[in-house]
Amino acid sequence: MTIVGTGPSRPLADLRARRWRLLAPVALLGSRLAEAAGDVAPAGRIAPDVSALPPPGSYELPRLFTAPDGEVLQPDGKPVSLRRVLDGRLSVVSFIYSYCRDPVGCPLAWQALDAVYRGFLADRDLARRAQLVTISFDPTNDTPEQMRLLAGPRLDDRRARWWYLTTASVPRLLPLLEGFGQDVSVEVDDQGRPTRTLNHLLKIFTVDAGRQVREIYSVATLTPEAIINDLRTLQGEGAGA
Amino acid sequence: MVRSLLCAGALAVAALLPAGAIADETCNSPYTTKLIKGQEDFLHVWTLGIKGMGDGNDKLVTIDVNPASPGYGKVTSQVSLPGRGEAHHTGFTDDRRYLWAGRLDDNLIFIFDLVDPEKPKLIKTIDDFAAKTGFVGPHTFYALPGRMLVQALSNTKDHGGRTGLVLYNNQGDVVQTYDMPVGALGGGTGDGYGYDIGINPGKNVMLTSSFTGWNNYMMDLGKLVKDPEAMKYFGNTMAIWDVKSMKPTKVFDVPGAPLEIRWSLKDGDNWAVTATALTSKIWLVKQDAKGEWQAKDVATIGDPSKIPLPVDISISADGKGLWVNTFMDGTTRYFDMSNPEAPKEVYSKVTGKQVNMVSQSWDGKRVYITSSLLANWDKKGDDDEQVLRVYDWDGKELVEKLEVDFRALALGRAHHMKFSARPSGKTLAEAAGLTRVAAAR
Repeated sequence: MTIVGTGPSRPLADLRARRWRLLAPVALLGSRLAEAAGDVAPAGRIAPDVSALPPPGSYELPRLFTAPDGEVLQPDGKPVSLRRVLDGRLSVVSFIYSYCRDPVGCPLAWQALDAVYRGFLADRDLARRAQLVTISFDPTNDTPEQMRLLAGPRLDDRRARWWYLTTASVPRLLPLLEGFGQDVSVEVDDQGRPTRTLNHLLKIFTVDAGRQVREIYSVATLTPEAIINDLRTLQGEGAGA
Repeated sequence: MVRSLLCAGALAVAALLPAGAIADETCNSPYTTKLIKGQEDFLHVWTLGIKGMGDGNDKLVTIDVNPASPGYGKVTSQVSLPGRGEAHHTGFTDDRRYLWAGRLDDNLIFIFDLVDPEKPKLIKTIDDFAAKTGFVGPHTFYALPGRMLVQALSNTKDHGGRTGLVLYNNQGDVVQTYDMPVGALGGGTGDGYGYDIGINPGKNVMLTSSFTGWNNYMMDLGKLVKDPEAMKYFGNTMAIWDVKSMKPTKVFDVPGAPLEIRWSLKDGDNWAVTATALTSKIWLVKQDAKGEWQAKDVATIGDPSKIPLPVDISISADGKGLWVNTFMDGTTRYFDMSNPEAPKEVYSKVTGKQVNMVSQSWDGKRVYITSSLLANWDKKGDDDEQVLRVYDWDGKELVEKLEVDFRALALGRAHHMKFSARPSGKTLAEAAGLTRVAAAR
């Protein structure tokens, strides 16, 4: 994809170099998350006033479109259809890439998702019906192994489900991006060559158990409270059954 | 002709209600990405066809507006659409990849792909707007995440002013419809009319304004002003909605057809303004000390007795200034908004024989003006000039830099404007293609 010669099939010549390549993006994302931690909004964004949101169950969420299907890879490298991942559960779907540097991009999304995850831990009934689904924008660098590192101990947390997924290739990824309406472009250098920086509009999708996309959050609206409220609203209508 | 009609009295004032609206970089939906904060490259002008001029059809006209470009001021593309249907407004999708453009008469909605903004490509036509929704006159196109909210002006039953909002997904499928509020609500009385949309996502509120129905906006101006019954049917309200639930919560009585809505874009500001066409007022909407949303008249635009007819407005990115075009006197006015409770006109300049839309760049250094209001409402004879004019603004004076004569170029009536910029990166597919080529080598 964006980096010539660093695809998954490339032989590993230097274990130390590979280890650094794997860990560095996670460390970077971790540091960005640390910057975004707490209630302080990243530069360029004023956090929405959550007190202005209506209470869960007092509103309906429209059925926007059907979530796309396609093959994704789990952290153990095993393929699974996205449809199978989404069927029967309320899902919070996000696209990220592990070395994103945009403070109002992946780190902001991660901050909200992390809070939703903690919300699941505090609401076992919701946790049984809902899940987080994170898919990488970058199948070349965000290999299943990389996603496992990104997940850390959460991958095996039985209290709340968080899928860390990638795809086998850009052609496998593109229909998913198109199906969700998730734009992304690759920044180029002075010579017009692709760099590792991906520019994307932050979008997080709430999907019901019938795979209908029911809400989409942007930088302007993203808060964990809004996501939790919407999940509880869907839970109340039986869409999460 | 128009001027003599205006002398007929107050009815004529109402008859010349504007139909211009969302146009400039600072008035894009807050969900729209990729704001152009430097020099824009292209200007897309949604243009009404004129019978006997060129092919006579409505067009999306694209003009190179980057002074550093060798093609500066030249038309780079004309996408001719079938016939004339009262081309009016346009709006980007949230990702700014697509431009939706509507026609108020035949209700067609065209979706253009701007992957190459120099040459927009028509990719879809929605031809069942009225049949599927019962509404008429798709006017405002306001991006929400992954979807498009369309404000209609009228309805299929009586072609009057009662109307509603239509939510589309970005694929162009109708998701839901919402009626504009009618009857008592929150201290005001809803008239069911619609015009513009303005959302403050941080406060989870949406404002809507009110204009008139198909019966009036498609009527010949001369006939309209002589019809007292028709002149009763103009909007006098704004409504505030809960965006999450899409339910109206309060109606404000704002007499005189409140039209364009602009929220201040300054961080921490939570106020919006509108201009009323019939009464030449600026109204402010903000929360009071108790947190209750209120609307109040805060300024007068020109001399209402001279019928200036405020049409489009454009707020500066810092919320400190507001451009106001007044159609009848062809004047572009600048209001100091440092105190939004007391806007003050500090500059004015005649920029045409008739002026409707005003669009400013994000940095406020360039101001774009177009001329057309509605096909049947534009002035007649020599006063019916159809132009785009571009000015530099240094905070003191508008200096004309470019004029594109839409009549001389046989394009039509210059109406709604949107900016675009050359793409700066590559798509994932393109990048993947480059990778494959490199790998093959």
